[in-house]
Parts: sequence; C-alpha cells; structure tokens
Amino acid sequence: MAKASERERCITGIEGLDNILGGGIPTHNIVLVAGAAGTGKTSLAFEFVVRGAVSGENGVLITTVESKSKLLANIPSLVFYDEKTVGKRITIMTLKDLLEEAGISDGVAGESVMDMLISMVEKMVVTAKAKRLVIDSIDTILPDQKEERLDTYFLTKLSQMLHEKGSTAILVCKAETAEGGIGSVVDGIIQMGNLERKGDLLRTMQVPKMKGATHSRAKYVIDLTSAGVLVTTLLKGGI
Amino acid sequence: MSEDLHSRVALKLEAVGPSVSIGLEIKIESYFDIVRGLIEDFASKNGMNCIYVTSSVPSATLNSALQALEVDTEGLRFIDCVSHTMMGAIHRVDNTVYVENPSMLENIMLKVEYFLRLAGDKKTIVVFDSANSFAIHNDPKILSEFFTIILNSLKAREAYPVVLMIPDQLKVEVKEMLGMVCDVIMPIEQDHQP
Repeated sequence: MAKASERERCITGIEGLDNILGGGIPTHNIVLVAGAAGTGKTSLAFEFVVRGAVSGENGVLITTVESKSKLLANIPSLVFYDEKTVGKRITIMTLKDLLEEAGISDGVAGESVMDMLISMVEKMVVTAKAKRLVIDSIDTILPDQKEERLDTYFLTKLSQMLHEKGSTAILVCKAETAEGGIGSVVDGIIQMGNLERKGDLLRTMQVPKMKGATHSRAKYVIDLTSAGVLVTTLLKGGI
Repeated sequence: MSEDLHSRVALKLEAVGPSVSIGLEIKIESYFDIVRGLIEDFASKNGMNCIYVTSSVPSATLNSALQALEVDTEGLRFIDCVSHTMMGAIHRVDNTVYVENPSMLENIMLKVEYFLRLAGDKKTIVVFDSANSFAIHNDPKILSEFFTIILNSLKAREAYPVVLMIPDQLKVEVKEMLGMVCDVIMPIEQDHQP
C-alpha cells in the first residue's frame, strides 16, 4: 500500500504547537492566529519569527499595532534570543512605513491598493529571503469588514505570492475576523482564548483548521514566558 | 534525634533513582527536616536543581527557614501557590514564580515546564508540598488527572518527582489516588526515642 505523502513542515520552534500540529505548519500555509486582546496572539507570532531566526530562517514582521522600537524592546526578554546571531535575520517594518513607501494614502482601499500592498510585501520577502512572514495585525490592513470580497482578494493574492516565494505566514487577527468569510480562504486557524474556571482565567489555544496536517483539535492551556509560549493539556477533572 | 533524618531522606531517594514518582509520607513535626533533606542533602549535594511547588507554606517563609539553617539554595526554584491567596505584598524574588492559587493546576504544570526548560539538561528533583494542601483546593478527580499527567511527564524526563503527604490527615480517596499515581509510597519515620 502506498504511503500517503506528508507535506513538508515549517517547524515553528514552539514545541507545544509543533506537537499539536504533528510536526509544524505545512510549508507555504497562510495561518490566522485569532483571539481577543491579551490572549497571546502577538507573543505567539513574534516567537514564530524569532524561533525561525534562531534556526537560520530569515523572517519579516510587519507590525500595525506596535512601534518598531517597542517591539524590539520586547525581544531580549526571550532567553533564546541572541542579538548578534538572530537580530540580522529579522526584518521589522511598520504598516505606516510600508504604506508611505508604496505611496498609498491612508483610508484609500480597492483592488489596486491591495495589489500595491502585496507587491510591497513581496519585495520585502524577496529582499530579506524570508521563509517566515508575520503580519500583526491583519485587521488593520483589511480595508473594511463589510467588504469581504476585498478581504478574500487580498488573502488569495497573498497566499499565491507566498506559495511562489516559499514562505509560511502567520496573520494575527481578532476572533471575529476568523469567524467571517476569510476563515475559509486561509489554510489554517489557531484560536487563542480565555477560559474561566471558578474565577480563574486560563489562556487557551486550539487549532480547528490546518490544511495538509493531521492535527489535534483539543483545547490546550498556554503560558507566556521568557522561555517562549508554553503549552499543556487542559485538565477535564473527570468530566 | 532527628539530626540525621534529613540525610536519611536523601539516602532513600538515592536508592530509588530517577524516573520513579515517590509519595513521601511525613510527620508534621519533621517537616523542616524533610525539606532540608530534599533540598540540601539530596539536590544540592548531588549537583541537582530543585523545583519546589508549595501550596502549603509561602516561599518567603521557606526561604527564611532554609537561610537560617544555612542551606545552599543556589539550585532551588519555587513555584509559590500560596502567597497570592494571602493577598499580602508579593516580594519578587529571582528564584520564585507565583501561581494565583493551588487550583490553577495547568498553570503549575506550565511553571514546572518553564523551570525545566531553563535548567536544560541538569538533573532535577520536583517536590509537591503537599498532597494535603492540594486536596483542600481541588476535587480529587482533577487532582488525580493533574498528578497522573505531571508525574508521568517528569518520569519521562528522568526527573525525581516527590509528593509530600501527611497520611493521617488525608481523605481516604486522596490517599488511594496517590497510591495509584505514585510508583512508590515511602514512609519517613522519625527516630524512636530511647
């Protein structure tokens, strides 16, 4: 009997997540990391890029929520980060700088603008020889939640471009964004959340969708530490 | 005559070796001798790290007691599940992380993982102090699940997992559960007075 061929994996380096996914994100997948504020989306996405850099893969990080300096200030808190060896492998750009470089006025939307943005991201990925891309968050880039057609257009084009360039992407977004139409366009969804138990609030992670991978769909508990995002089983208490 | 109780604890653990989960039956009056035996006579003298998960005595109290006994605490890390519940001022100490309360069992598992990662390949003893206090804050079913998962995980990593228990103050169902999840139940008797 022929053995089913396994997709090549992008090992995230986040041990618990790689275990859930059965070895990592299938390469060239475009994955949403969705959740409410404070659930660990940015930490997970950030570690994805840093772990890649540690293992010799260049990464591009486009931030729309934090300034570059604030983001850089957070890096040394990770114990596995070494500025000399890792810092050069990560290219960070703010959306503001990206839009300015593309000559796009704020508030303007449409397919042509989406094309220009994709082209700018492509330029960054090619220049940096990036195997990993993070956009934090995609909500700021997607023009209007009412214009689902444009969202789909942007993500489809981004997906095509990343597939051609051999990059794997994590796109951070709000929980509602993943529940909308774009959830069906992307290759994977990692849901970050909170679970309240007797007044205690636990951070959780669950992977409901990941194309090209046989993965766990269970809910896990996570912690954000200087050793990275740690993952453990959610106890059921005999229920 | 409890002067050598701490060294006897270490000898008993050395005889068992790693990857064996131990339920250590203790008497309340020998508590600090046992703690000293685990941290100094066993962990420190064998060049090991000690992750001490406390749900009974605040880490600051234990630290003070160990300092008074002049115990080397270099490789000692605390996961303190008590101090937050007392709503007092928390003094941030390098070797201590805090969990809000002893019912946040997943967070305790994650903090143990955190310290194990920082320790790298160094051999580690992980002490849970104690089954009695954990049982006050948790339903036996979830406690059973917690100990099953964490003790197996520690055994797989060749650590030395030790659960302290005061048997005459334990509910029967918790005692039975510990008998199931621990590989060895080890009574530590105090020396008999002549």
